[in-house]
Amino acid sequence: MTPIIEARDVARVHALRGHSVEALRGVSLKVRAGEHLAITGPSGSGKSTLLTLLGGLERPTSGDVLVQGRSLATLDDRLLTRLRLEQVGFVFQRFHLLPVLTARENVELPMAEMRVSSRERKERAEELLAYVGLSGRSGHRPTELSGGEMQRVAIARALANRPAILLADEPTGELDMATGQAILDLFDRLNRDGMTMVVVTHDDRLAERAQRVVRMLDGQITN
Amino acid sequence: MRRPVVMAFLALIVTTPKAHSQDIGIAIERRLAESARLVVGDTVRVATDTGLGARAIVRAIYEPAPDPATIMRRDYHVRFELADLASLLGQPDRVDRFGVVLQAGIDPDTAAARLDRTAFGFSVFSSERIAAGSSTTFLVVSRFHRAIAVISIIASAIFLLCLMLLKVEERRADVAVLRLTGISRRTVFISLVIEAAVIALVGSALGVVMAAGASALTNWHYQGAFETSLHFSIMTLSTIAFAVALSVTLGIVAGAAAAWRLVGTPPMILWRRG
Amino acid sequence: MNWRWALRDLARHRLRTALSLAGIAVAAALLLDMMMLSGGLERSFEKLLLSRGYQLRVTPKGTLPFDTEATMGGASDLVARIRAEPGVAEAGAMLATSVHALAGAARRSLVAYGVDPTAQGFYVLETGTDLDPSHPDAILLGLPAAAIVGARIGDTVEIAGRLDPQVGVASGTRRMVVRGTARFLYDARDQPSVAVTLGTAQALAGRSARDRASVIMVRVGDDSAAASVAGHLRERIPEVGVSSIGEMVVQFRTRLSYFRQLSLILGLIALVVTVLLVGTLLAITVNEQIGVIATLRAIGVARRSVFLYVMQQGLALTVVGSAAGLVLGIITARWLDAILTSFPGLPASISFFVAEPGSLLRAAVVLLITGVIAGLPPSWRAMHAPVAATLRSDAL
Repeated sequence: MTPIIEARDVARVHALRGHSVEALRGVSLKVRAGEHLAITGPSGSGKSTLLTLLGGLERPTSGDVLVQGRSLATLDDRLLTRLRLEQVGFVFQRFHLLPVLTARENVELPMAEMRVSSRERKERAEELLAYVGLSGRSGHRPTELSGGEMQRVAIARALANRPAILLADEPTGELDMATGQAILDLFDRLNRDGMTMVVVTHDDRLAERAQRVVRMLDGQITN
Repeated sequence: MRRPVVMAFLALIVTTPKAHSQDIGIAIERRLAESARLVVGDTVRVATDTGLGARAIVRAIYEPAPDPATIMRRDYHVRFELADLASLLGQPDRVDRFGVVLQAGIDPDTAAARLDRTAFGFSVFSSERIAAGSSTTFLVVSRFHRAIAVISIIASAIFLLCLMLLKVEERRADVAVLRLTGISRRTVFISLVIEAAVIALVGSALGVVMAAGASALTNWHYQGAFETSLHFSIMTLSTIAFAVALSVTLGIVAGAAAAWRLVGTPPMILWRRG
Repeated sequence: MNWRWALRDLARHRLRTALSLAGIAVAAALLLDMMMLSGGLERSFEKLLLSRGYQLRVTPKGTLPFDTEATMGGASDLVARIRAEPGVAEAGAMLATSVHALAGAARRSLVAYGVDPTAQGFYVLETGTDLDPSHPDAILLGLPAAAIVGARIGDTVEIAGRLDPQVGVASGTRRMVVRGTARFLYDARDQPSVAVTLGTAQALAGRSARDRASVIMVRVGDDSAAASVAGHLRERIPEVGVSSIGEMVVQFRTRLSYFRQLSLILGLIALVVTVLLVGTLLAITVNEQIGVIATLRAIGVARRSVFLYVMQQGLALTVVGSAAGLVLGIITARWLDAILTSFPGLPASISFFVAEPGSLLRAAVVLLITGVIAGLPPSWRAMHAPVAATLRSDAL
């Protein structure tokens, strides 16, 4: 079966103030559709860099990334952006919700970008917020929400356009134990509902819930 | 009051430079000499529209005293002996005005009032009163400049306040970290105000340098355009002091106001918003 | 990403937005005032010159109307020659002279316009009856003159043309009947003017003023032919100066070039202030929200949408600030106009700041363009923010 995401011998070198830093060195990875994959490793091991390459946020210095069989190297910035809008959902450690928008409006944002009608956007946003357990908070601004609630809104936002893939970078990084637990449960539920998930995490609990764990060290997969 | 002007129409025909005994002597201003290519000793004909005319020899070329009142006008001026001009105009024994020198100790206004009471057909003014009257134009221009200055100062003040507020608020995260690590409000406030003061001082100094350049450029431009040695822009110590004092004060006040807001906000809220 | 969200973002920081709006408003007001100043005076002057329909002025050679006390001799012959020229519909001479109203021992100086009542462009009759060549002892009073001499319609006033200081008498004295009041178009505020027939003025001014005129007003039948008629007159009557309205406006503009230059400089400064305010505010907003912007790009929001989101904030600031500024500008223009129109000798009907729809529209367009230009660099930066690098540094 064709993997839904595939990294083929990707390398990434960052240029930082005249120095070169090899963030990734010849990494190859395949992710099956519907799989829940965790990527772990110490800081600086290249996990987040690998995630950004898988999502088309950066281009590899060498190698290639394919999403649903399509090579990202053939796509220009506009098409990569479109890919992220339609097929890939992102969740980050720092939630980055627009503070002037309500929870519902934040979730609507990617749909507005897709020119979905206002009524449809509103309905779907309420649906997603209910899915993540925030049905009573749709009219609240991010400053009125707790950390866990904000992360759930960010997850709902990532699901707005029904992506096939969810990429999450340290989704519980800024949350306390109990709140993080709620996020873990949500991720389980998403995966049971068929979402392909690749999660970068330090959190052992999150790694344990994954179907497969990939460990990284010094820019390479070690297992 | 009407400015007394006596105009003679000049038909300038340079003839052979041979003096006649009936020739009158005239002095012409430098601009006219340059424009008509005349030098001392040249002979010209001066006439009015009634056809009366006379030969005149250029005896001198002079530079008129810079007069702001006439700067916009581009008239050429010629000086005659009084009798010669009166004769040329066919109006012997007529003048526009007399100048009167008083004996020491006589108050000009009192003398003017007395003469005015006894006068018939003319009015008497002290030189100071004439100067005040003819300065009205410049007083109006001064008022206009002051009005523009007020608007500019208001705009600058708002601009300065806004910028300082933005710059200090940009330091929100830094302030949050400092406060969270235990640095007192007072210390943080003072350091922000000092920063604002330094920016205000350096900015003011740069502004003075820029103003000096702009002033020099203004004078160079207008002196060339109007062929005059008048100064159109003068930077005095008092104007510099006023401008610097105002901008430094505004900068410090703006910085202090913004800093006060920041140190008054709980650090966690600052951190979260940053 | 839409307008409402951009506006909400601005409203989130009330103080900085309010200050920015205030700054833009003052800058916009200054810009509008300078636009009004740059052309207002000329338009006002041109309107005044054309108010009675006379397109040309004939004056002593080398002078402009009311510039000097010079006069032209042989005025009646000049008028006849001008009237005979093709294209000329009407011509009328005017002599300006000083006269004195006598009331017992008191003497009050007045400015007298000696006109041909059938062809004059110097006053508008307000009350009473106009001058009539068959009534040389009629006089019209301006309101300031009427107040000075204390006369009304029907009263008789004693007018002297010359005061001879040597013999101590007023000569050329006439008893004149007030027929009406008039508004003198070229008068400065409170200038005490009167109108009499041309012959009367010449008589009052004495022998030296016989058949002389200060200016001859000329009406051309076809407006578009004014310039060619002027040229024709210059050729045919070279001993006088002929000026069209356009030429007088140019001369006027040259004399008042200071105000045009000042308006240009201050207008530019106003634009620079607007650019700096809007640009700085947006730059700082982008800096603050760079993490959010990178996330938006990461979740699939196109560069164009990010660009527009930032630009919308800049445009919102500019539009709201400018609207307030244009209103403020009209108010400050009145204040500035009140200052400048107190120039001595300036016709009272002249304005320096003329509020026309054209000026307002031009100012609005220039401000809008300025807002767009100011918003370009921060919007560009936002749309080109390196997504992954920003997210990495933001996570630190």
